[in-house]
This record gives sequence, structure tokens and C-alpha cells, in this order.
Amino acid sequence: MIEILDPTVAASTQPIAFAPRPRALEGKRVALIENTKYNSDRLLARIGDMLKEEYGVAEWKMYRKHNAGVPAHQEIIEAIKTSADVVVAGIGD
Amino acid sequence: MPATLTSQRFKVQSLDEAMELCYAKGWSDGLPVVPPTEAGVRAMLDAAKLAPDTQIGYLSHRAVSITAEKVAINAVMAGCKPEYMPVVVAGVEGIADDRWSYHGPGTSTGGAAVLMIVNGPIARELDINAGDNLFGPGWRANLTIGRAVRLVMRNVAGSLPGLLDRGTVGHPGKLSYVIAENETESPWTPLHVERGFRPEQSTVTVMAAESPHQFYNQLSSTPEGVLTTLADNMRVSGNVMGQPNYCLVIAGEHMRTIAGGGWGKKEIREFVWKHTQNSHAHLKRTNRMTGAIQADDEQKLRPLVASPDDLLVVAAGGRAGAFSCFIPGWSSAKTSQAVTKEIKR
Repeated sequence: MIEILDPTVAASTQPIAFAPRPRALEGKRVALIENTKYNSDRLLARIGDMLKEEYGVAEWKMYRKHNAGVPAHQEIIEAIKTSADVVVAGIGD
Repeated sequence: MPATLTSQRFKVQSLDEAMELCYAKGWSDGLPVVPPTEAGVRAMLDAAKLAPDTQIGYLSHRAVSITAEKVAINAVMAGCKPEYMPVVVAGVEGIADDRWSYHGPGTSTGGAAVLMIVNGPIARELDINAGDNLFGPGWRANLTIGRAVRLVMRNVAGSLPGLLDRGTVGHPGKLSYVIAENETESPWTPLHVERGFRPEQSTVTVMAAESPHQFYNQLSSTPEGVLTTLADNMRVSGNVMGQPNYCLVIAGEHMRTIAGGGWGKKEIREFVWKHTQNSHAHLKRTNRMTGAIQADDEQKLRPLVASPDDLLVVAAGGRAGAFSCFIPGWSSAKTSQAVTKEIKR
């Protein structure tokens, strides 16, 4: 009989509270988080325009991360907290 | 009474069954692993003088604490001898360092491996290869230390190929990518001393890295000649626009030629930095830089790396043969920097 040990680990649990979801996008302010990859700004700007045209959002503003390999930095998170109701963030290749 | 190991235990009837269980559980990199028994894991921890619950690193974006126990289990699976454990631990500390920035190289389509360069007396004590067949098979320490770090990435950090690790083509260095500097024969300042450590300290430098790119120069007997070939091969390699770290691995013949001309690592870095710059026109013509070519773009130069200090120069490789290599770093030096950690024993 051999007994072996599990080399894996489960991520520690973290309490995460989701912000309440808006019932509609009309009149909302949208923050777009751009990950610096080529064309990501153009893609997000198009998404912002579509949200205005088709869903009636009030405005959109783009925020740029330091680079694609890191999470959004505190400075833009703080700015978004006060300037936006809804955030579009994503990473694409 | 030694501290309890808290990992879940699995009972099997035979060695074969243990190895197959490791495959079935998804714990292997594809090669057979050594089944991690308590005795093997305790030998690893004892060799590094670590309690099982000691935290070696914490990856905040994964919310994962990498404990000595998990590093030891993966080191056993990789086939490490217990005396390799302090090197594995230093490597894990390196990739968990904020400057290395695990989130990028641990996941990116860019397919980075963890290049580990070992310096100091431990490299000789553990017979970590710094010579012939530098990146090839034949040395247990080179192949199992890097494998252990990659197994930690897989099993603890969750960098599973095809899931969190999305390297588009990857490369064989993602199995193991460990070398030592040939401090015995090198006339130059060792890498770890250049990076602020004492010669008698042992260190591991981790760099998020592409595969080695070999170059050939059998004609020249001067530093400028050899390095002109290197620079020509290197100029449009890697993430040209990202300006990452590069590692230059200078093998025996080239090392003797360059040192014979009176050049040290500083002169190598400055020459290579100066001669690997691309014109904006070339970068635009080859679809690396955006925009239309402007009147002065033939004269405007962009360096391959931001500073000569972004080039890590290492003396290693066989004595014979007019070959050396360069290794482009992943992404950019802003995104992930090479990190050097002391190996504590």
C-alpha cells in the first residue's frame, strides 16, 4: 500500500459583494476599461457608441490600464467609482 | 513531533497505480511523476529547513497561498533530490514576486516559460549544468528543478495548459528551463554579483522567456565581429515593440573571443543595445509598428530593449562550437521583470 499526497490547492475563499445590477442602461454612465492591446480602444469605443445608440446610455468614458498583463490599477478604479454606473471590462487577443 | 502535513491523502496498491492516479487527477505535465509520499515530502522540507505551513509566495490575483508543503509535494513529483528543494523554493519566490507579475507570464498567449539561471556555489554542489548541451537532456538538477516550478504553477497556481495557461505555441522550456552560469571558466562578473549579491551567495534569477535562439559565428576573432552576428539575428526577434528583457547566453568559444578582446559584460550590453535598433520605417514595413511611413522614419531608431541594463548576460554553454544564443523575454520589461532571489539553506 502506498499513500500519496495531493499536490493541488483550492483558492482561498473571499467574500465578494457584487454591485447591484441596473434594471436598464438608459441614462447610465459607462466606463470602458481598455487593456492597451492593439485595436482594443477602437473595439470598446464602438461598444460604447452602440450602448448609446441602442440602449440609451448617457455617456461613456474610456480608462486605460497600465498594460494587458496586470489588473486595473487603483487610480482608475477610484475614478470609475465616482464617474460611472456601469463598467465594460474585458481582455481580448 | 513534526508538523502535520495537511494535504489530502490517497491510498493506492502499487507504484504503477500511484503514477496512473497522478495522471488521472491531472497532476502531471505529461511525463510520469514520482508518487509524492509523506517520507519524500518530509525529506524535501527538511532539506530546506521549512515548516510545511510556511508561505513561500502569495498570488493575490489567484488568491492562492503557495506553502512549503505544496512546493515539496510537487518537487517530489518532479523527481528532485531533497537538496534541490532550496533552489525550487527560490524559483517559486521569484515568480510570486510582484515584479515578475505572475498574472501575465503564467497565463499569456505569448507562451512564456520560466528561465531560471542559477549562480553561486550551489550550482557546482548540485551539478547544475553550465556547459555542453546547456538546454538539453542529461542533468537531473536542470530537468527536475524547473519541472518542479512548472508543476507548482500547474497544481498550485492553476496554470493548466489550455485553460488558464493559454500559450498559443508555447515551447519545450515550459517543461524545464534551468541553467547555471559557468562561473568556473568565465572571466566575467557573475550575473548575481551584477544584480547586487555577493559571489559566495547562491541565487536564482527567473525571467519570463521565449525559447533559446541560437546564432553561429565561426569567422570572427573580435568581440565586434561575434556580437555583430548576434545583433543581426536578434534585431527583429521577440516582442520587438514591447522592449522586454533579453538573456544573452555566451558559450565557450565566443566567451574566449569576446573576453580576449578585453570586453566585459558592460561592453557586450552596450554594443548589443546599440546594434539591435530598428528604424521606424522597417518596423512599419514589416507590420510591427502602426501607421504610414513618414519622411524621417528611415533615420528614426527604436531600441530593441529600453536600456542596456535590460540585457542579462550569462556565460554558459559548451567549450567547443561557434554557437551562442539569445533568449527574448516575454511581453515587455514593464510587464514582467527578471527577478533574482537568494537561495536560502
